Amino acid sequence: MSGHKQRILVVDDEPQIHRFLDRALEAAGFEPVRVETGRGALSEIAHRPPDAVVLDLGLPDMDGQDVLRDLRVFYAGPVIILSARDRELEKIEALDAGADDYVEKPFGVGELLARLRVALRRHRPSKQIEVIHVGDLVIDLPRRMVTRSGEMVRLSPKEYDLLARLVEADGRVLTHKDLLVSLWGPAHAEDTQYLRVFIGQLRQKIEPDPSAPRLILTQPGVGYRFLPEDMIAT
Amino acid sequence: MDVVWKITGVRQRETVPDSAFSRADDIELVDITPDELRQRLAEGKVYLPDTARLAATNFFKPENLTALRELALRRMALTVDDQLVAAMRQKGVEGPWAAGERIVVLVAPGPEADALVRAGKRLSDMMMDAPWTVAYIERPNKPSPDAARAAALGAAFKLADQLGGTTVVLTGDDIVRALLEYVKRNNVTQVVVGRSRRSRWRTLFGRSLVAALLEGASGAAVHVITEGGQPQIPAPRPRTSRAAFWRGEIASIGFVGIAGLIAAAVDQLHQDANLAMIFLVSVLASGLAYGFWPAVTAAALSALAYNFFFLEPRLSFVIGHATDVLTFVVFFIVAMATGWLTGRVRDQAVATSRRATAITALLAASRRLSGSAERGDTARALAEQLAAATGGQAVVLLPKGEDIAAVAGSPNLPALGPGDLAAARWTWTHGEAAGADTGTLPNAAWTFRPLQGARKRSGVAGVEAKAMREEESERFVLALLEQGAVALERAELAADAADAEALRRSDKLRSALLNSVSHDLRTPLSTVLGSATTLLEYRDSLDEAAKADLLTSIREEAERLNRYVGNLLDMTRLEGEGLDIRNDWVDVRDVLGAAADRVSRRLGGRKISRDFPSDLAFVKADTTLLEQALVNILENAVAYSPDSSTIELAAYEDRNNVVISIEDEGRGIPTSELERVFEKFRRMEESTDRGKGAGLGLAISKGFVEAMGGRIAAASPIHEGRGTRILISLPKDASAQRLSA
Repeated sequence: MSGHKQRILVVDDEPQIHRFLDRALEAAGFEPVRVETGRGALSEIAHRPPDAVVLDLGLPDMDGQDVLRDLRVFYAGPVIILSARDRELEKIEALDAGADDYVEKPFGVGELLARLRVALRRHRPSKQIEVIHVGDLVIDLPRRMVTRSGEMVRLSPKEYDLLARLVEADGRVLTHKDLLVSLWGPAHAEDTQYLRVFIGQLRQKIEPDPSAPRLILTQPGVGYRFLPEDMIAT
Repeated sequence: MDVVWKITGVRQRETVPDSAFSRADDIELVDITPDELRQRLAEGKVYLPDTARLAATNFFKPENLTALRELALRRMALTVDDQLVAAMRQKGVEGPWAAGERIVVLVAPGPEADALVRAGKRLSDMMMDAPWTVAYIERPNKPSPDAARAAALGAAFKLADQLGGTTVVLTGDDIVRALLEYVKRNNVTQVVVGRSRRSRWRTLFGRSLVAALLEGASGAAVHVITEGGQPQIPAPRPRTSRAAFWRGEIASIGFVGIAGLIAAAVDQLHQDANLAMIFLVSVLASGLAYGFWPAVTAAALSALAYNFFFLEPRLSFVIGHATDVLTFVVFFIVAMATGWLTGRVRDQAVATSRRATAITALLAASRRLSGSAERGDTARALAEQLAAATGGQAVVLLPKGEDIAAVAGSPNLPALGPGDLAAARWTWTHGEAAGADTGTLPNAAWTFRPLQGARKRSGVAGVEAKAMREEESERFVLALLEQGAVALERAELAADAADAEALRRSDKLRSALLNSVSHDLRTPLSTVLGSATTLLEYRDSLDEAAKADLLTSIREEAERLNRYVGNLLDMTRLEGEGLDIRNDWVDVRDVLGAAADRVSRRLGGRKISRDFPSDLAFVKADTTLLEQALVNILENAVAYSPDSSTIELAAYEDRNNVVISIEDEGRGIPTSELERVFEKFRRMEESTDRGKGAGLGLAISKGFVEAMGGRIAAASPIHEGRGTRILISLPKDASAQRLSA
């Protein structure tokens, strides 16, 4: 966050949403940009690329998923989707199409801003995550090593790969399919039981309380994310 | 008027003389309840206010008014009664008015039965299609009618059936008493009997049947039909019966022959043996084995043979000794009497056993028919019974929209040709038999009969024509059809009742939903609106803490609204079959954790404890549905348990299931309510948190869990009279393998 305010493009057809998001974003130190249609959003992003996009999937002129796919052709910045709670498939589709995160409607401003900040941090180009400190847990990516209170945590290669993939995503939700394909290959895209087994084992080894996970979070019906509250990444 | 004075103690000036009643053409009673009258009085509609007040305290006292009202009503009743009597006299009707005409036609087995049936039908036509029944009275102590007469009776029954009448067989020694009893029981208004020159019932204890009937039939008209001069076509004797007859005759000759041989043998051994006894045995045997006529034949033959072979002079019909003449005469009488008696006994035994068989079969059929509660089942049962009774194919057609369609058949659903269907439709629309062996569309391969219940026609039954040949089975089939019609009607009524109940329930549900929507949406909205307007109006005078409090309450109420809308949507999805279940491998610990996270902000001072094994089988479930089910249970636990209590989450395996247990330390649920906690709109009193929605939460949990093939149950109290435990069990999938790294 150097001199200029970060521009956030909000794509939503509800004026009431803009009304409070404008205030909230300004108060949080951002510069909000209002767009009410999918075409308007694509044109705005093409001409003056914002620092992040907040995209409502229910738009009057275009399918939000199409807007997402189209903008991903020429825009690499963070995109956060607004979607209803019971629309898991919609969220999965958006995440697989390149959305960074989603916020369920109706939402509190605090939640949206938290997601936005995580996404913006992730997209800072200079940033390369190497060693993560969470409480007494240290994940050293270059050395493929995990320690807890200085003691080595023994992970199988697959467990480590899974953890590394989650950690590298840096707070982003990874869908079941995404994780399965990248770790086991396209043939196992539907074998969620693999994932459940390894996530369970991983939690047993790294979570302070495996029955109340704080490091690897379950997004029911969608996927997992690694987002500890007190993470220090270096 | 004197009476009025006696009742009220007030002399009325506004009067008319009593004679006005009797001179009036018509009287109309204007009736009003005492309270209403006093009300009108108070409103000033009867007298001016001053007069009214006076009147109300003196004359228009409630007890006066009640007594006067009774007087007026009694007077009116008397007048109406007089008018009724006058009207009846004018129309020449004695006795009470008949509620509706009902005709019974008494037939005797014989050729005149047909004419009687037609007379009954004509009478019914004249009386606007009054229901009519053809009755035959079976007399247990009289021989059954011979084959020809029985056939005529059967034909008459069949005719009645075709013409839209019903048939009944009554039993009784005394025809008049049996018939009158039926007349009384069934409110019969018209009795049709025949008076034939050859009538077997011409006299009965010295009076004719008609005279006896006329004497006893109070309230019913008796029509006597005299025998017409139509040529009578003698009904052919059934073949089987003729063969049996000759078989009996030949056997009786055989019996007599054997008796003769034995008698000859005995005669050789002993001169003075009583040989007549041996012949009597042959008469007895003929009667017992073959009935009345063979016994008579045997008696005659025996007498002749005895005379010819054994009475001196032998080998001639001449009787030598005077004593032998006596012996022969006595023997002949005894033989005839024996033959007649044994034959009768045998005939009756056969008739009884045949009737018993028919009754047993009918009873079995009726049990089978009444055992099925659903229309389709009943139709199937009826088709099976019909097929069994006739030995051929049977089909039952029930209304389908405007038309009728075959719904059940036995042994299987037959393909009916267009001609058959036309006959079936005729039967359906006209309520009369059609198809083969009837006057309507006789070319059809099937015979169709209406299934006429007590209130309406329920359908049509068809029997393959070639199967229905025997008289006995036809009568049985008619009885079956009657039973089937009643059973179908009952099934329809039951279905109607169930529909009405479902409608009533859905109505109740709708009103509960409306109630809940208006309450549970408006309450949070009121808070939001109230808090927001307070902030707008008084923002300058409110301190920071008050503003923060109002803002917090706006947020909380908005969240509550959101949860409630979510519940309504979930319920709609559950009810509307819009539930898209995406079953997947699920670690319930994972889902429990996610559900607990979702309610964490609303816990207040409550703690959530978790007791999960480190190794737990997966279940096949829809993660989001399971999560929502668990969230609803958790929210319920939060709402009904005190602050700073603990909610315990546990998961474990039993033999076939993974069990999730959620326990709170609230007041618990009374045992009487326990079964109903999962019902819609059931909300316990004394919720500590008013933000509970409409009692939909647990109903949704149950719906979701069951949609995934799981079960849900509540137990309460769980310790020291407090606490509720909700158990969800989800089946472990047999194929769930546990992978290890």
